[in-house]
Amino acid sequence: MRNYFGTYTASRQADPITASVLVFDQSISIGYRDESGTNHTARWEMSQLTAQFEASSGSSLLRNTSSGEELRITGPEAATLVKEMQEEIAKPWYRKKSASHKGRVFLFFAGLMLVLALLYFLFVPMLSEKVADTVEPETERQLGDAVWESMAQSMTEDTSASRLLNDFFSTMNIESSYRIRISVVKDNVVNAFALPGGRIVVYSALLDRMQSYPELAALLSHEFTHVNNRHATKSIFRRLGSKVFISLLFGKMGSVTSVLVNHADDLKSLTYSRKLEKEADLEGLSILTNRNIDPKGFTDLFRHLKAATSGSALPEFLASHPDIDNRLAYIKEMSKQARVEPHADLTAIFEQLKKP
Amino acid sequence: MLITTTNVVEGRPVQEYLGVINAQSIIGANIFKDIFAGLRDVFGGRSKTYERVLEQAKEDALRELAEKAQALGANGVIGVDLDFETIGSGGSMLMVIATGTAVRI
Repeated sequence: MRNYFGTYTASRQADPITASVLVFDQSISIGYRDESGTNHTARWEMSQLTAQFEASSGSSLLRNTSSGEELRITGPEAATLVKEMQEEIAKPWYRKKSASHKGRVFLFFAGLMLVLALLYFLFVPMLSEKVADTVEPETERQLGDAVWESMAQSMTEDTSASRLLNDFFSTMNIESSYRIRISVVKDNVVNAFALPGGRIVVYSALLDRMQSYPELAALLSHEFTHVNNRHATKSIFRRLGSKVFISLLFGKMGSVTSVLVNHADDLKSLTYSRKLEKEADLEGLSILTNRNIDPKGFTDLFRHLKAATSGSALPEFLASHPDIDNRLAYIKEMSKQARVEPHADLTAIFEQLKKP
Repeated sequence: MLITTTNVVEGRPVQEYLGVINAQSIIGANIFKDIFAGLRDVFGGRSKTYERVLEQAKEDALRELAEKAQALGANGVIGVDLDFETIGSGGSMLMVIATGTAVRI
């Protein structure tokens, strides 16, 4: 804003009146007092006035083109200023003075967002996994046992089935630095999961649905891969890393934002577990094919899972496990050249397990 | 229009006093500016982001003051005083109050 004194003329016949003038970005404001002593203010838009310097009178002449009113301000400065403002208004938005500043600010924010995204999606998970790799198997075992003990209080274990499954697993002869302990839990949930440090939990309803030993071998090799590749530990550390990063970034935000942020975080760790499930499928499959066990065990196993989840199946994006049809497809693709041999010892244990 | 912090205008006596006027401008630096200013606080140096906000707030307050004076028929504001305050939870917003006496000189 600039301020001046000037003389205002309402029409050619009228006498000039002294006026105070304020020049803004888009308009000018003129204040004057008429002969009767009444105060007036007039506002002229930049678009409705012409400005020029009159050398003869040594003053800037501003004229309102729509009403014919005139304003004189001593010196050339006011005319120059008004012309500059009019040129600035006439420019397209991207060439305005304010646009270059806004452009810089926008680029800066875009860059910042990119850096934060890279940190969140690449650097933090990588760092978390590095930290997870330094965890000793013994620590993992303690963690897994603690989780199992807290869960076991509300579950009944089928000890004879557990013993048979442990036998089955040791007969499969899979080498690992972890001591694998399998527990069968009496429940009608069709599922199984692995805890960090070597504990695998299988629900009896899933066992009941199995028809042949390759299915059990597929299940155990899948869960074994989760244990052996430290999937649970990595997941825990990745979650922890994301949580720490997010709370550092949005530490002072209100509860609404924290709810949103936490849900977004959950979705990300689901996709992580999908990646891990696929890894467990594929490595589990190679355990079967290396031992010449029928890879059809995987497809049969997934059919049972599919039958159990039918009706309530979530879209893959929200499900922590890859969509079962997807899994069937890539397992089928991978198992094309598999060689199959009968395994009398595994069959015997499986049959014992199925005895009523 | 003349806006000055002095009580008298050299060579132009006050003909009429039109009363005390004030105008305020309360402005929030946005959250990103706060983050950058926070960084500036860590690494040291002048915080241009906050300086621009302050300048803008002062400009707005004086503009409003001049418009109020004009509406009263004044052609000058003398004895102008500018006050700067932080308000809002945690002092997150900035307030500028411009006070002066509207006069005809």
